[in-house]
Amino acid sequence: MLSLSWGTLRERRWLFAGAVSAVALGVALVQSSLLTLVATGEPQIPPGTSGREAEQIREGYVGAATLLGMTVLLAAFLAVFIVGSTFAFTVAQRRRDLALLRLAGGSRRQLVVLLLTEALLLGLAGTVLGVLLGVPAMWAQAWLLVRLGFLPGHFTVGWSAGVLPVSAGVGLGVAVCGVLAAALRAARLRPLDAVRDSGAAARVMTAGRWLVGLSCLALAAPLVVAGQSADFLGALLVAMAVSMLGAVAFSMLSPLLVPPAGWVLGSALRRAGVLGELAEANLREGTRRSAATAAPLIVLVALTAGFAGTLDSLAAATGVEIRRLTAGDLVVESTGAQAARLRQIPGVAVASTRLSVEISIRAEHREEGRTWRHTYHSGIVAIDPDAYQRTQRLRPAAGSLDRLRGATVAIGPGLAAEPIRRKVPPVARIGDRRVRLRIVAVMPEVLENGADAFLVPRELIPDELAARSPAETIVQVAPGASVQEVAARIRAADLGTVRTVSEWADARVAAQTRGNRDIMLVLLGMSGLYAAIAVVNALVMAGAERRTEFAVARLTGLSRGQVVRAALVESCAVIAIGLLLGGLVAAAALSGLQVIAVPWTLLFWLAAGAFLVGGATTVLTAWWATRPAPVTLAAARE
Amino acid sequence: MTSAVALHGVVKEYGTGGARVRALDGVSLNFPQGSWTAVMGPSGSGKSTLLHCAAGLDRVTAGRVHLAGRDITRAPDGTLTELRRRAVGFVFQNFNLIGSLTAEQNVALPLKLAGVRVPRQQVRAVLARVGLADRLRHRPRELSGGQQQRVAIARAMVTRPAVLFADEPTGALDSASARTVLDLLRAMVDETGQTIVMVTHDPVAAARADAVVFLRDGRVVDHLARPSARQVADRLARLEG
Repeated sequence: MLSLSWGTLRERRWLFAGAVSAVALGVALVQSSLLTLVATGEPQIPPGTSGREAEQIREGYVGAATLLGMTVLLAAFLAVFIVGSTFAFTVAQRRRDLALLRLAGGSRRQLVVLLLTEALLLGLAGTVLGVLLGVPAMWAQAWLLVRLGFLPGHFTVGWSAGVLPVSAGVGLGVAVCGVLAAALRAARLRPLDAVRDSGAAARVMTAGRWLVGLSCLALAAPLVVAGQSADFLGALLVAMAVSMLGAVAFSMLSPLLVPPAGWVLGSALRRAGVLGELAEANLREGTRRSAATAAPLIVLVALTAGFAGTLDSLAAATGVEIRRLTAGDLVVESTGAQAARLRQIPGVAVASTRLSVEISIRAEHREEGRTWRHTYHSGIVAIDPDAYQRTQRLRPAAGSLDRLRGATVAIGPGLAAEPIRRKVPPVARIGDRRVRLRIVAVMPEVLENGADAFLVPRELIPDELAARSPAETIVQVAPGASVQEVAARIRAADLGTVRTVSEWADARVAAQTRGNRDIMLVLLGMSGLYAAIAVVNALVMAGAERRTEFAVARLTGLSRGQVVRAALVESCAVIAIGLLLGGLVAAAALSGLQVIAVPWTLLFWLAAGAFLVGGATTVLTAWWATRPAPVTLAAARE
Repeated sequence: MTSAVALHGVVKEYGTGGARVRALDGVSLNFPQGSWTAVMGPSGSGKSTLLHCAAGLDRVTAGRVHLAGRDITRAPDGTLTELRRRAVGFVFQNFNLIGSLTAEQNVALPLKLAGVRVPRQQVRAVLARVGLADRLRHRPRELSGGQQQRVAIARAMVTRPAVLFADEPTGALDSASARTVLDLLRAMVDETGQTIVMVTHDPVAAARADAVVFLRDGRVVDHLARPSARQVADRLARLEG
């Protein structure tokens, strides 16, 4: 039995090289994300760091850990999905061989054992390779996190042998699970299928496909609805879940969707002449191959477009919200000292200054019977409540900002969701002074990331500290005065950078989009690469296995160039179908959001890249597969 | 003489409703042990279907099939698998060897699947018997059609099946290779009492058999014992005409 496995491995090395690399990359990705995640567990804070910096470092670690947690999840999902579809493909491609084995007296059990043994061998090879690949992958991931500013430069990841059982479990488990369904299906092959290519086994839409496809759709639907009322992290998680479930559903159901899509494309293809006709026929005939090729592309597009779309939409919604909540004409960025002089500029009716002050506030939290204290260092803003309320349309969810006088504090939108005890006065530390503050108001939540944590009255802050704190002032111009003239006067007086509210809102959206792009890179950089490699992998596997078919086509009178072109047309059609279905999943993931920003640029590059890379892969593979003289291949049936 | 394979009123239909096709229409046949029977008939006469049903590869719609002393009409897959290992051998037009295995491994495969240890000597002796002593480690695609067919025959020789089913065994071979293959089959019948059921188009191949059965539209229409190639060709021409 082992010699048979080994012999098959040698014979079908292209098919199995594809399977091994799918396992190896999956193991590498899971292992590196896991090791990096473990390394973020204990923030390394250098001695002598100020409280505020330490808080930022710690927040960076928490953010990175959240992202890495999602990355591990995503990597595991991709590994299962890609390895599963790759293995199913390796089994499907060998239907005749397996039926021959049945003809020679192989029992169903032996067939399953054979395929599982193969999967174990391949899984083992993939695991060893993946464990090695995982080390540079881990460095790359840590580098990316530091580079994008999530983690400080002194962050280090280390190899730990403790991850080996996990890597081995992932590699072997994924390989065996991936092949199990295909093996059980292959066991239903009848010996007669070796002689005649027909019967139930030739049916592509198996009961299992129906079951998995439809149940994933059924699970994704309520999530789309739930996405409407989720916060930032929630929306991201929903987008991820919907993209994952949708991708599985569509790739399971793709044998249903590929032929009609092929038919639609076919009307165009048939007009393109005999090659188009051939490609269309192949598309319809090789449904399983087309489905296997399209599957990783569906996942890639669904995940990247789904994520990018969700993040961009959230940023766009933030922009809409900022404009809606801000009542003003100009925004001036300066120091507290400069901001204090703004009111003297002719034409300025209201100047509402937000001072980002370097003080700390210690507040008590209570949730589910547990009580704890936490000291906040950033996001503490000093305001003049009167001016603030004239330029800010956001009103407290409880209490009133009018009472923000003296030793008081309002909980800002950034902490609105935190379980801070309202009755227990938080303690502010201002320089070396300690002040107990009464909570007078609680602001509602907003969409923007990193919104203000606490609002304190301006008079709480010593003048010296206020003067050197960074300030952001919203200016309302007096009736009749020209906004441009006022802006010019502020500039002339050298009181800081002046922008219109609209420009300022755009800049904030752009900043959030930049941050989102970094999040995308961490989350999807490696996973996207994995899925992209899987697309290439599937194309190479599909092409290399078609030598005989290509040879027959050439014997029929097609030139080598024509065969390659027909294969190119066909794979372009498959890529188009994959892009379309992936885009559909992403659209579903976005459909729950209130403001929808479609990531057109990303979609464009994704499509261009898919066609370019996929096309080049197909041409090279088909060229390679048509290298031997056609007669030698057509005569020797595989 | 006892029968190695017996068919009683076998009916085989494909498809449903209006697309229903009756490939075998009440066929009753005995294939005696130790003899070589050729099944002939025009294209679409049901020859291959007959072979598939007799070998337990396909289930009959009605009637009964006995193979190697067992009623296999409704036998479960396990029983049929067991039969394929020990009692049944196949030689097909397109050879049906496993491409990834060497000639030697292909020959030993059925016994290995049955969990029987195969002495290397025995495998080599059988391959030498079919004239492939120097091709043990070659893979099917490195062999000519005639050589591949001889590997398939060697595979049948080593298992010593109760019945060897052959579907156009010379269909893809040149006349010299075809003669070699037919000589080997004849020798198996004469020397070891092998039972062979062979479907063929070729009157020359059929003339090497002990008896020829003619099929048309799923029915047995004629029977010849020890015919010459010319007699077979004449009958066939009359059936097709």
